[in-house]
Amino acid sequence: MTEEREEMQTTAEHIRKSDVRTTLAISQRKEPTASAATETCPCAVIRSENFSLHYGSKIGVQNITMDIFPCSVTAIIGPSGCGKSTFLRSINRMNDLIPHVRTEGLLEVDGHDIYDKRTNLVNLRQQVGMVFQKPNPFPKSIFDNVAYGPHLQGVKRKDELQHIVEQSLRAAALWEEVKDDLRKSALALSGGQQQRLCIARALATRPRVLLMDEPCSALDPIATAKIEDLMGQLQSTYTIVIVTHNMQQAARVSERAAFFCLGELIEYDHTSRIFSNPRKKETEDYVTGRFG
Amino acid sequence: MNLRLRGKLDQLFTAATGLSVVLLMLVLVAILGPMLYRGSNAVFFQGTVEFRKMQRDLFRRVDDTTLNAEIAETEQFRRRVYAMIEEFRKGVDVEAMSSQVRDIHRSFGEELRAKNVPADSYTQLRGLTRDIRDNLQAAFAKQDVNEIRPLLDEVLQHAENPAFEGTSAEQFFEIARGFLATAEKVDLSHQQEYAAALREVESILFHTQDLPGLLGPRPEEPQPLLVMLRYGATRWDQAQQLLDRFSWVEEWVQDKPGEPLVMRRTPRATLFPETLQPLFPYVEENAGQMLRPKFTAYWQFFLDDNVNGHYFGGVGPEILGTLFITVVGMLFVIPLGIVSAAYLVECAPDGQVIRIIRMAINTLAGVPSIVFGLFGLAFFVLFLFPLLGFEPKPCILAASMTLAVLTLPVMIRASEEAIRAVPRSYKEGALALGSSRFHTFMTVTLPAALPGILTGVILSLSRIAGETAPILFTGAVSMGDVPKSVFDPTRTLSYGSYDMAVGDRLAMMVPHNQYGMVVTLVLLILILNAVAIVLRTRVFRKLRGQ
Repeated sequence: MTEEREEMQTTAEHIRKSDVRTTLAISQRKEPTASAATETCPCAVIRSENFSLHYGSKIGVQNITMDIFPCSVTAIIGPSGCGKSTFLRSINRMNDLIPHVRTEGLLEVDGHDIYDKRTNLVNLRQQVGMVFQKPNPFPKSIFDNVAYGPHLQGVKRKDELQHIVEQSLRAAALWEEVKDDLRKSALALSGGQQQRLCIARALATRPRVLLMDEPCSALDPIATAKIEDLMGQLQSTYTIVIVTHNMQQAARVSERAAFFCLGELIEYDHTSRIFSNPRKKETEDYVTGRFG
Repeated sequence: MNLRLRGKLDQLFTAATGLSVVLLMLVLVAILGPMLYRGSNAVFFQGTVEFRKMQRDLFRRVDDTTLNAEIAETEQFRRRVYAMIEEFRKGVDVEAMSSQVRDIHRSFGEELRAKNVPADSYTQLRGLTRDIRDNLQAAFAKQDVNEIRPLLDEVLQHAENPAFEGTSAEQFFEIARGFLATAEKVDLSHQQEYAAALREVESILFHTQDLPGLLGPRPEEPQPLLVMLRYGATRWDQAQQLLDRFSWVEEWVQDKPGEPLVMRRTPRATLFPETLQPLFPYVEENAGQMLRPKFTAYWQFFLDDNVNGHYFGGVGPEILGTLFITVVGMLFVIPLGIVSAAYLVECAPDGQVIRIIRMAINTLAGVPSIVFGLFGLAFFVLFLFPLLGFEPKPCILAASMTLAVLTLPVMIRASEEAIRAVPRSYKEGALALGSSRFHTFMTVTLPAALPGILTGVILSLSRIAGETAPILFTGAVSMGDVPKSVFDPTRTLSYGSYDMAVGDRLAMMVPHNQYGMVVTLVLLILILNAVAIVLRTRVFRKLRGQ
């Protein structure tokens, strides 16, 4: 286990060192020490101020004000249709694909307003990786799946790509299972493996933030446990935001939790507090199962 | 509904589906089977010695010594036919004999001059032959043997004249004897009918002005200009048809007024007097010996150029032209189809204009192909080519572009469906990694849509390779050279079949070549499709990770 930890850290080291963009923001980032996961960092990576999003006349989310802190797992919980996924997808502007979307307020990643006209979408999405609800590997080989992002960033050298693929697969705890058949189609993997492959694919672009949209809802408990375990390992290096329906999961993996209801942020606090002693009535009703 | 009834209904349904599949197969077999059988006749048949002669003369394929031996053997049997006909003609064809007699008289005069005969004996001999000639011609004009005999006797009394010995004048007496013999045997009042019937027999056995016969031209005849007339029946089935025509006279007669016409077959032998009777059984019995049918696998059918409008078969240039047009057409269809489909699915705003475009595409798919043919002529050949500085003439490029326009709707729709069917999650995954929309389309959507796009390719491929009407005015010809560039017109299988069917009475004589061409087209499309299907399966497997 410790060995694996060490390996993880060297991976993280590699990823950080070779990333030009992150060096700019390195001061905001804590050195990954053994205690990194438990400490809190005062400087938010993602900052949202009165952020609202409308689909035409329909409200997606309204007046969200929250800071998400680096090197930790932040869970977003809430009933269906409450805007959790919408908010998550706003962070890397995936909602742009939907026609008639309108936003108000401020949403910053690393201090840059991402809804600014000058925002480079490509850079943003490389910095803010995303893992979807359903595993969605491309119908290509495992290697090509992971190498897709780096290739986009301009990494063309075979050995370099090889290196990044290996590191990313190791970081996603998938290397040992697939190292012998990287040329196999990704669709031949099991659901859990596919989801970890998607995580590896997202990690390969060396993002700062990893958005996870109910990453375990299509998986069985064993695969879920593996992904959760992986999140535990990754939070020392990455800022992870996870949307989940599963409150046990939120309690297990996250440091902070936000409760959304009807498009609004009801409560945002340390996870232990949300689950044990929430300030708001709605939150208590929800986490105790009386509502939703 | 109770459980047993439901079970019965299920069984019924299964049976119905099974039955429909069986029916479909039967229909396929019923359609393709006879066509394949008839088409295979173009390649596998009983080839006669005439076929081998043709192969030697036109393609230098047959071993010369064995063929010469074979020809010599068949010649033995044919010689009697020639002799019998010649013999009969002597007595009957008075016009021919008249002109022959005139020729003899003239050549005899030339011979005399060549020998430097003294003037007075020259005049005497010329006078003599003139009398002979006139007597003969007078005899030819008579039909009663009693009137003919004194005239010919008068001619024949000069037979012993030493002045005629060894000269062409000897032929006078030969003709006179032959005619006398015939006149004694044959009722000369039917002379005209006999001559006409004989001409018909000759045209069946040898050839007419434009149709080949059973045995081909006689050895002493000059070679006809048309290549197909230089050979007799090259195939045994053809020979048998000719033999049937040789033995029987078919005529449409009306027995009573108002009744429908019926065909009556009478033996041709009845048209002739007894002297020619032995010819008919002889030809019927010895046809095999005269033609030597032998099983032939003419696989060069697919390579050879044809001669005289497909009379001898050979579809090589047609196959080449079809492939050429198809490939060039696909070069237009595939990129245009994919780009249009991509625009319609990925970029197009959901508005009135797009709805109209979509409707136009759907309508285009149902437009008759001849309309596209005329469009191609008007737009590509007559408008676009002069505009671009090309010669405004039908060519492969114009034909391919016309066909491309014809199949574009099919291709666009298939590609559109394929692109639309790519899961959204693939696109989202790529976009979330920072890929641009174009890059996402090229690297993720397009490969995932490839099997569906290949289905569109297969559909348009078959359409392009098989269409006739659009290339009618834009690039197809029925004869001509093998094209050297896309600016030359070409022969194609589809147009060739059409041309044979409508413009060529030869098609009646060589239906096997027509079927052969159609079957070749079907096979070509099948092969092209098989290649595309194998490709599609492989792509599909690769995508599925199997």
